Amino acid sequence: MPLPLLEEIQSQGKPVTRELMEKRARLFEETRGFFKNQGYLEVDTPLLAPYLIPESSIEIFKTDLLSPYRKNKELYLIPSPEIWMKRLLVQGSGNIFQITKSFRNWEQTGRLHENEFTLLEWYTLEADYKFSMEITEDYLSATAFLSDNPDMFKKPFLRLSMQEAFLENTGLDLEKLQDREHLFEKARELDLNPQNEDTWETLFHRIFVSLVEPRLPQDKPLFLYDYPTQAPCLAKKIPGTPWVERWELYIHGVELANCFTEETDREALREYFSREGLAKEKAEVKHSLDPLFPELFPKGFPKTSGVALGFDRLLMLLTDTPSLGGVIFFPLSDIVES
Amino acid sequence: MIKAGAIDKGTFLLIKEDPYVVVEREFVNPGKGAAFVRLKLKNLRTGQVLRPSMKTQDNVEEIQVTDKSCQYLYNDGESLHFMDTDTFEQFEVPVASFEDKVLFMKDGQSYKVVVWENEPLDIKLPLKEIYVITEAEEAIKGDTVTGATKTVTVETGLTVKVPIFIKQGEKILVNTETREYVERVNT
Repeated sequence: MPLPLLEEIQSQGKPVTRELMEKRARLFEETRGFFKNQGYLEVDTPLLAPYLIPESSIEIFKTDLLSPYRKNKELYLIPSPEIWMKRLLVQGSGNIFQITKSFRNWEQTGRLHENEFTLLEWYTLEADYKFSMEITEDYLSATAFLSDNPDMFKKPFLRLSMQEAFLENTGLDLEKLQDREHLFEKARELDLNPQNEDTWETLFHRIFVSLVEPRLPQDKPLFLYDYPTQAPCLAKKIPGTPWVERWELYIHGVELANCFTEETDREALREYFSREGLAKEKAEVKHSLDPLFPELFPKGFPKTSGVALGFDRLLMLLTDTPSLGGVIFFPLSDIVES
Repeated sequence: MIKAGAIDKGTFLLIKEDPYVVVEREFVNPGKGAAFVRLKLKNLRTGQVLRPSMKTQDNVEEIQVTDKSCQYLYNDGESLHFMDTDTFEQFEVPVASFEDKVLFMKDGQSYKVVVWENEPLDIKLPLKEIYVITEAEEAIKGDTVTGATKTVTVETGLTVKVPIFIKQGEKILVNTETREYVERVNT
């Protein structure tokens, strides 16, 4: 059989340049060096899992472990390494980081979304989300040399609470708009076409995506912090407020990283699992829930903060590339569409 | 009705009784939230631009349009006049709705006009079109910098940046989407 010509191979999707290979390699090196110097241990965990943490906003890739003698077993490609890394934490790992592939199904691919992507995730013990802001600033400052516009990635970054962001861009006092009917009315007044079946969370996201996110300051990276409790996630609640200890980092309007002070309270975790588990029943791909996760953290486990950062998105921003496909070798969106 | 997630660039929509074409579409997934789509829409009656965001599960009214072959006759300043080449029927559309297109359109040329319930909504331009240069400055002597450009005007009034060797009366190929010079045409 004749060997395929180089041109034929290169014509399948965009060719990968040596320059891009070097840039990715340099970001890997810099990331590993940075976290190692800060005392974090690098770990690597499985991509296939028999159960997951439920997240109703994410669709999952499913596969089967075949057995000739027993029932086949469903396995899932991880949407993030969280499920494993938190197990390592309770087993005494200390501060850890990982760069790993992660998978999200269904997500409409495009400028900022690929089904398979690289995630940098790290956990810090005895730390909260405010501490994670500082280490994130230090990490990005350390990668700034890869950019033609290094000042953009150097600290200090901007900090804005969700409450302030809503007030500034929509005039809405979100803290006082905690019931669904009031928020629905406001969304209608703002001509955002809210639907009768919208939950508080959906209404919040409608307003956020339409009027807040596009108007966030873009001249420096921005920590948008204190997210509403009514958008369920695994972040610790701030007592006496409708907020949780969570931030997202935006650079040039691109959502780059997500951080929590991790919820470790059993009751709160059980409640999250039963609520999100129920919501997950409407998902296209249903999956088993991790039975141990809600019981994972012993009483008195130290405060812990975790950050997940889109590694490809960071490279895209550093190199001023217009889309994710430009910084990933053989992006799935390219292969599938051709 | 279609789901907002199924909308593509070039989809025609009916919003509050006005027809729109989708100019840009981008998916956004706010962290831990449902999928949304951010759109840039152009009102085909007024030219007004809307930038709505919708949940991908929201329903939107899509309109079914047809393409008609039409000859572009002339522009009287307020309206563009066309003739349907099948029925020889003449009709006009307001210039205001097609300001971004009119500079690319040549009198007497055939175009596909997008029609919805007898209402012309859009004019499809060929991706590349040949134009004759009607006004061009002489290249400045001694200016031999590679890649140097100058601005010329073509018969439709469109201005294009071209390499300095292009002269008045010559023909050039222009990309109608990017408004960029492609090459000189020798005929």
